[in-house]
Amino acid sequence: MHLNTRQITDKAFTVLTGASVVLLTVVLLIVLGPITWRGAKAVIFKDTIEFRKMQFALYHRGNYEDLQSEIAEVHQFRDAAYLIIDEFKHGIDTDELIDESKQIYRQFGKELKYKGTSGAEYQQIRSLAREIRDKLQATFQSNDKQIIQENIDYILQYRTNGEFVDTAAAGFFTLGEDFLKSVENIDLDKRQEYAGALQKVEDIILHLLGPKPDDPVPALSMDRYGATRWDLAQKLLDQLLWSEKWVQKEADQPMIKVRTLRAEQFEGTKLEPLFGYVQSNLDRMMKPMPTFYWRYFIDDSTPGHYFGGVGPEILGTLLLTLLAMIFVIPLGIISAAYLVECASDNMAVRIIRMGINTLAGVPSIVFGLFGLAFFVLFLIPLFGGASKPCILAASLTLAVLTLPVMIRASEEAIRSVPQTYKEASLGLGASRFRTFMKVTLPAALPGILTGIILSLSRVAGETAPILFTGAVALGPLPKSLFDPTRTLSYGSYDIAVGDRLAMMVPHKQYGMVVTLVLLILCLNAVAIILRAKVFRRLRGN
Amino acid sequence: MTVNNITQIQRTRPAVDRNQLLVLTPLQDLKGFLFHHLGRFLLFAVTCSSVFLVLLIFFFVVREGLPFFMKFSLSEFLTTKSWYPEATVPKFGALSLIVGSLYVTIAALIFAVPVGILAAIFLSDIVSLKVRDFVKPIIEILAAIPSVAYGFFAVLVLAPWLQNKFGFTTGTNALNASIVLSIMALPTIISVAEDSISAVGRELREASYGLGATRFETIFRVIIPAAHSGIIAAIVLGMMRAIGETMVVWMASGNANQIPSPWWDLSQSVRTMTATIAGDMGETPKDSPHYWSLFAIGVVLLVMTFLLNIVGEYFLASAKKKAGKS
Repeated sequence: MHLNTRQITDKAFTVLTGASVVLLTVVLLIVLGPITWRGAKAVIFKDTIEFRKMQFALYHRGNYEDLQSEIAEVHQFRDAAYLIIDEFKHGIDTDELIDESKQIYRQFGKELKYKGTSGAEYQQIRSLAREIRDKLQATFQSNDKQIIQENIDYILQYRTNGEFVDTAAAGFFTLGEDFLKSVENIDLDKRQEYAGALQKVEDIILHLLGPKPDDPVPALSMDRYGATRWDLAQKLLDQLLWSEKWVQKEADQPMIKVRTLRAEQFEGTKLEPLFGYVQSNLDRMMKPMPTFYWRYFIDDSTPGHYFGGVGPEILGTLLLTLLAMIFVIPLGIISAAYLVECASDNMAVRIIRMGINTLAGVPSIVFGLFGLAFFVLFLIPLFGGASKPCILAASLTLAVLTLPVMIRASEEAIRSVPQTYKEASLGLGASRFRTFMKVTLPAALPGILTGIILSLSRVAGETAPILFTGAVALGPLPKSLFDPTRTLSYGSYDIAVGDRLAMMVPHKQYGMVVTLVLLILCLNAVAIILRAKVFRRLRGN
Repeated sequence: MTVNNITQIQRTRPAVDRNQLLVLTPLQDLKGFLFHHLGRFLLFAVTCSSVFLVLLIFFFVVREGLPFFMKFSLSEFLTTKSWYPEATVPKFGALSLIVGSLYVTIAALIFAVPVGILAAIFLSDIVSLKVRDFVKPIIEILAAIPSVAYGFFAVLVLAPWLQNKFGFTTGTNALNASIVLSIMALPTIISVAEDSISAVGRELREASYGLGATRFETIFRVIIPAAHSGIIAAIVLGMMRAIGETMVVWMASGNANQIPSPWWDLSQSVRTMTATIAGDMGETPKDSPHYWSLFAIGVVLLVMTFLLNIVGEYFLASAKKKAGKS
């Protein structure tokens, strides 16, 4: 019995340790899985005609003739939708109708003057026209179909009057007739309600299809195009078909989301067919096509990363890391060489090791403070530069941060070169310097390279040290080392919490961070493979 | 052909002067001596740059923080809770920031230490080398993911999930920050603990098994006591990683300047020292009390991590000594 419990505890413990490793794996999958999945959508997705329009306008990509013929094709289907809306709107948007009648009245007055009609006749015709206009306006505002019918009939009796035939005033009659037709199926008491609901529908259509071809071009590039992605188009379609409302059914209960068909709101009106039409013709209106948008990695972006890619961010990250590496590699290898080859265990070396360990333990944000106080505010002004955050200061800060990593990795690599190599070289009469340069260093090089790649990946992901020393969220491409730059790491922070506009394009948010993670994991994979190779070779010896 | 080549090479090389003595002239001797020592000194000077840099960091961070300690009282800075740096009568009480830092750090360790030590035992004592080679990259990838990506995960994935699942008022809170911090501290804890557990000699294990102990008993009664200083070092180093972390806590902790009450309520937002520096420095003019105060927080952080580092080094050294003995 006692033995049994002991064995069970033992087994349970083994399972527990295994479970901890499984937990690690699960955590890794949870952290990377959703981010990667959503981030991939920034590059691989179904685009729409709007995307191709945007690409052509912003970057001159694609074939102009093909694009034009595609646009003509989709406009056949889009125009039908616009037509439905316009017809319905005729009966709803009274303000517009009233404006129109005013316009006709003014135009008619001008024509009369132009013809040189005499004063008394002019006054008479004009007052008649005014009467028709006021009657029309009253009709537009009326909610009673009976009155509308009577009014329109009253107006139409003037149609054949000689004064009005073939003049601007003929517009009054078509306006009236059209109105009569369009109100046939509308419950006029609900007009206010319809107007509000129609506004929403028009908004969604605007987001889906973009501005109409004859509308003025909006100032912001993000407003110039409709849904550039098929998934976004489908989301908008869902919004078009269903209206969502948060209602509180019972007191003290949380609000519940209720979805109703938008078509029900417009039941029996001329707008009702719109929903079915858009639903069944969406792909003909948008022309979705699978794309691999690899230029995401080289494109510049519009403000808020609404369109475009992460090209400048990648460039900035590479610039910072490579510059930092130029500073840190010689320093790291020389320090490691001294620590392995020359140092004995005395006080000075112990202090140096202590210094390296302390440097490794300094929090990254303190490196940021140091970079601000030393490089930006002290060193660069000392040499006559402008005292502002810049690439040089940021990469120097990163170099200081990664120095311990570099020293430790190189030290390990140099130490792992077998003693026999060195002895053979020394035995041939080579000096110690020569031995190190010709024998030890080449043998240790793969190991050192591993260290370099690992510190590269560490530097590429650091954000806190460059917050105040050279990273910006928005800005032009840097022209010199004395300009700040955009980076993937700071960009990932900013796009996640800082940028309101970016919240509307989640795939761009995830795309940025996935680019960063992928870059770093690729570097790490190279380092791991390289190290495995070195390890095998040394083991073979 | 090859023989021909060799003779050719021999012919083109100048013949060695066989009459020359194999003794260096005094000048050559001096030259060699000087080169040797000069080179050594140069190398030493370059290597000292790390120490020099540490001193520079201390000097410059303290220099910018010093005006703060001259103008405001240190005890008020460390013991009061009101942090109103931009008020007309600014108040600099950093207590809740310091407590916030320690709070999320300790909470993170509570999650990370058991998992980390179990995983270290799994890697060193339970599985074969093959499985180990498979698991190691997982830990390496966890360590390689940049902190801003963890922060991104915390804000956009974890926070909404916590909010919906547990009905917290906000998803960015101490719990979120400490979960993510614990993930980030795990690789450090695992690798240091595993090194020290592996370093415990075979003899101890075999003696214990020989007495009929099960693996569980061996690990708990023999190996962990023998490796305790290394494990403590692992925890201390993991703590250093968590306390100095900036991006994750800035993004995930909610940045509310308060001490959670009741003290165990992890669902409240807190604010840490690192997040305060990162968040405030951008909009602070140089040479204002607020600016100095941020450097003063930097000094506190620096001192804290320095002390932790010394503690960690002490335990690592004693672990090494023990491993050397056995």
